[in-house]
Amino acid sequence: MEIRCWRICLMAIAALLSASGAAQSTPLSERVVAYQIEGAYNAKTHTLDATEVLTYTNHTGTTLNAFPFHLYLNAFQPKSTWMTEAERIGQRDSEMGEGWDDKHYGSNEVKSLEVVGQGDVTKQMKFISPDDGNADDHTVFEVALPKPLPPGQSVQFRIHFVAKFPEVVARTGYKRDFLMAGQWFPKVGVWWNGAWNCHQFHATTEFFADFGTFDVKLTLPAKWNVGATGLQTGGKDNGNGTQTVSFHAEDVHDFAWTADPTTKVMEDSIRLSSGTVKIRMLMQPGHMASAPRYLAALKGTMQKFDEWIGAYPYPQITVVDPPHGGGAAGGMEYPTLITADTSWFMPKSLLLPELVVEHEFGHQYWYGMVATNEFENAWLDEGINSYTETKIMDALYGRNTSVLNSRLATGGERGYQRMGYVPVSNLDPLSRPAWLFENNESYSGITYGKTAVVMLTLESLIGEKAVLHGLHEYFERYKFKHPRPEDFTSAMNEATGQNLDWYWKQAIYGTQTLDDRILTASSERLDWYNKAKEKKGVTVYHSEVIVHRRGEFDLPVVLEAKFDDGSTVRANWDGKDRWHRFSWDRKEKLVSAEIDPDHGYLLDRDPFNNSWTEKADRKATGKLAGYWTLLTQWLEQALSWLA
Amino acid sequence: MNGSVRSSAGLVWRHQRIVWWIFVVNVVIAWLSSLPARATLSKVLDHSLESAKLVTGFDVSTLGLLVERPDVSLRVLASGTAGAGLIFLIYLLLIDGGVFATFLEDRKLSRSEFFESSGLFFWRMFRLALYSFVPFALLIAANFGIAKYAGRLSSDAPSDRLGFFVSIGGKLVVVVVALFVRLWFDLAQARVVQDDERKLCGTLRRSLKLAFSSGRLFASYIGIGLFAAVTFAVGIAVWVYLPHSATGASFLVLELVTITQIASRLWLKAASARRIALLPSETEVPLIAPRESPAPVLEVTDVQTPQPE
Repeated sequence: MEIRCWRICLMAIAALLSASGAAQSTPLSERVVAYQIEGAYNAKTHTLDATEVLTYTNHTGTTLNAFPFHLYLNAFQPKSTWMTEAERIGQRDSEMGEGWDDKHYGSNEVKSLEVVGQGDVTKQMKFISPDDGNADDHTVFEVALPKPLPPGQSVQFRIHFVAKFPEVVARTGYKRDFLMAGQWFPKVGVWWNGAWNCHQFHATTEFFADFGTFDVKLTLPAKWNVGATGLQTGGKDNGNGTQTVSFHAEDVHDFAWTADPTTKVMEDSIRLSSGTVKIRMLMQPGHMASAPRYLAALKGTMQKFDEWIGAYPYPQITVVDPPHGGGAAGGMEYPTLITADTSWFMPKSLLLPELVVEHEFGHQYWYGMVATNEFENAWLDEGINSYTETKIMDALYGRNTSVLNSRLATGGERGYQRMGYVPVSNLDPLSRPAWLFENNESYSGITYGKTAVVMLTLESLIGEKAVLHGLHEYFERYKFKHPRPEDFTSAMNEATGQNLDWYWKQAIYGTQTLDDRILTASSERLDWYNKAKEKKGVTVYHSEVIVHRRGEFDLPVVLEAKFDDGSTVRANWDGKDRWHRFSWDRKEKLVSAEIDPDHGYLLDRDPFNNSWTEKADRKATGKLAGYWTLLTQWLEQALSWLA
Repeated sequence: MNGSVRSSAGLVWRHQRIVWWIFVVNVVIAWLSSLPARATLSKVLDHSLESAKLVTGFDVSTLGLLVERPDVSLRVLASGTAGAGLIFLIYLLLIDGGVFATFLEDRKLSRSEFFESSGLFFWRMFRLALYSFVPFALLIAANFGIAKYAGRLSSDAPSDRLGFFVSIGGKLVVVVVALFVRLWFDLAQARVVQDDERKLCGTLRRSLKLAFSSGRLFASYIGIGLFAAVTFAVGIAVWVYLPHSATGASFLVLELVTITQIASRLWLKAASARRIALLPSETEVPLIAPRESPAPVLEVTDVQTPQPE
C-alpha cells in the first residue's frame, strides 16, 4: 500500500513536470498565483465556457479575509466605466466613442465560485467600484473567504465562468474567425503597498497582476492555428471537428491566446545571452510582405535589449498579426506574446510595422518583467518603453528617419515623442493615475511622450551611457517585482551616482514646462561714442545675449555664441533666475547664439526661439510660404470647377 | 484624339492669353492671401537656426512643432486660403461670359468687348454656378457614402482589398459623373452666351438633353480630365524627385502643373463652346438659334429689305 502510494506520488510529480514543458529549475519570480484553466471556445457565439482553478499563496505577511477579482470583459457594456469614459474622453480605438454598437458587447459571467474545501461562495460575490462608485460597472468583484488566509498559506478558488468576446475592441475580441483573447478570465487583484490593488477597467488604463504559473487547456475548432503566452505542451485532434491544445507559462502575470484558421505560421530563432529564443509569427496571408519587416525589427530590438537592459529569460516570443479590420487587437503586449500592426499596403518609407513590433517587444521588459502598476503608474511601463523605443528605433533606422523615411518628408522617433508631448505639456503630471488624466490625448501625450523626452533630456544632463546604465540597474533590481516610482528614481540615482531628485520632482510630479528662449541679442561697438569708422580686428564690440526662462522648469542652460571670425564660445547658466545676461567684449562681432546647442533638451516645447542669427535667412520662410501659396492656388483651381 | 479635342485645344492655344491671365490672377490672389502666413513665418524662422531643418529636408516633427506655436495658427492661415478660393471663384464667374464669347466667336475680342460680355453674363453665370451646387453637393455626399461603405468593407469583408477597390471604383464613378455635370453646365453657360438666354431653367433642361446626346463631347471631357490628372501626377512625381534645397526648381515644376490645370479647365469650356457654336448647322430644324442669334436676324433683314421696293 505504502509502495503504491509512493508510485502514485511519483507519477503525479512526473505528470506535473511533463505538463510544465520547459520548466525552469529556479523560479524567477515570487509565484503568488497558479492558474489552471480549461475551456471550450464556441466560434459561432464567440464565447468560452471555462473552469478556472486558482491557487493563491499568501506572501503578503498579513492575514487575508477577502479577495478582489477583475472581470475585464465586463467593461464592454453600455453603462460600464470603460464605455462611459471612452464616449466622453476618448480612447485609442477610433471606432469607439461614436455611440454604442451591440457588436462591442462583451462579458465575463461567473457561473459559480467555490473556495475549495470551504464551500460555494457564489452568492457572497459583490461587484465593487473602488475608483468611481459606478454601480453599473461590473469589472471588479470581491468575495469574502469563509476562513481567513494566514500568511504563508494557500487558498484555492474554483471558478466556472463564461467569457463572451466583443468584436475586437481595446486589444481583445474577435474579427470574423480571428480571435485575440486578452483579459478573458477572472483575475485576482494584487496585494500591493499593504492593501488590495484592484482597479476598475478604465478607457485609458491597462493592467496589473501578480506573477505565477499558468496551465491552460483549450478546445477549439480543429485546424485553427493557435498562439499563446508560454509554450505549447500538448495538442490533439478530438476527431469531432475540434482540437484541444494546452499551454504552460511560468513567471508571467497574464495569459493571452489567439486562434485563427487562416494565419500562416512562421518560425525563426535568435541567439541571445540567455540562450536561443524561438520566434513564432502568426501572419495573415495578405500581410506576408510585412513578415520580413516584423522579423528584422524584432531581432534588432531583442539584441538591443539584451545588450542595453538585460537578458530575455523566456524560451519563446510569439508575434500575432491581426487581420484587416482587427486593428484594435494590434499593438498590444502580453507576456511572451505581442500583437503587431500592418496592412496589405504598407509603404517601406512608413516604419509602422517596425515601430509597433519594437514597442510591444519592449513591454516584455517593462510591463512583462518589471511589471509596474499600469493603473497608477502607467508611465513606468509605457513611458520608459517609449524611451527605449526611441533609442532602439534610432539605432536601427536612423535618428531622423526612424518613423518616416520618404523622399518627400522624414520623421524620427524623437520628434514623434516630442510632438505628442508639447500640445498637452502642462495638463497632467506623469505621476497621475491613468484614469484621472484630462483626456485621452493628455494621457498618451504625457505618459508616452513626456516620459520619453524626460529621459532623452536626462541624457543631456548626465550622458546617454549613464541613463542606459541606470535603466539596466533598475531592470536587474526590480524584474519580477512591482516597483513604484520612488523605486525607479532611487535606482537611477544610485546607478548614476547622482542625486537627481531635483529633476524627478519637476519631471514626474510637476506640470511645469520648459521654454527657454533668446530674448535679445546684439553686438555694438564698445566705444559707441567714437565717431571714427569701425575697423575689423581693431574695433572692440560689446556683444550680449539675454536668455529668458519662459517656463517654470529649471534646467541649467548652455549657450553657444558664434562670432564673425568663425570662433565659438560656450557659456553656462544655472537656469534658476528668470533671465540671464551673457556678454563678451571682443574684436569680433556676434553672428549667432543658440541655447542647447547639442539639441538634447527635448523637453523644451519651442525649439524655434532657442537661437538667434544676426543675418536673416529667409529660405525656410520662402519655402513654406511658397508652398502655402501653391496650396492656395490649387484650392482656387479646385473651386474653379464650379465656374 | 478626336476632332472635338483637337479643335478645342486649338481654341485654347489661339487664345492662350486667357490662360496666362487666369494664371496670373490665380497666383496674385494666392500670394496676397499668403502674406499673413509669410509675415508670421518670417518672424519665427528668419533668425532661427532651427529653420534649416525645413530647408535641407522636410522634417515632419519640426513642422509639427512650428504649428504648435500659438502665433502660428493654422486656422487663421486656412481661413485666408479659403477666402482666396472664393474670390478666385467669383473672379472666374465674372469673366466666364468673356471667355465663352471668345471661344464661341473664335476671335480676339477687344478688352471692352471681353468685359462687356463678362458683365452682361455675370449674374447668369453666378446663378448657374449656384444651380450646379445641387448636383455637385449630391456627388460629394455620394463620395462620402462610398468612402464610408468602402471603409466598412475594408474592415468587415473577407477580402482585405475589396474596400480599397470599391473606394477607387466608386471615386472613379463620382469623377466621371462630375465630369458629366460639368459638361452639362458648360453647355448651359455656352448656350447662355451664344443665345443670350435668360430663362436658365429652360437652358439647363435643353443643355442636359444636349449633354446626353453628346457622347463624343463627353468622351472628350473624359480625355481632357485624364490629361489633367496625368499631367498633375507627372508634375508631382518630378517634384518629389527634386532635391529639397532646389526650391526654385520645385516651384517652377509645380507652377507648370498649375498652368496645365488651368489650361485643362479652359479646354473643357472650349470644347463645349465649340459644340454650341456648331449647334445650328448640326440641327436640321433650327428652333431657337435662328430666331435669337444676331447673325440670322441680319440675314432676314437683308432679304426682306428689297421687298417693299
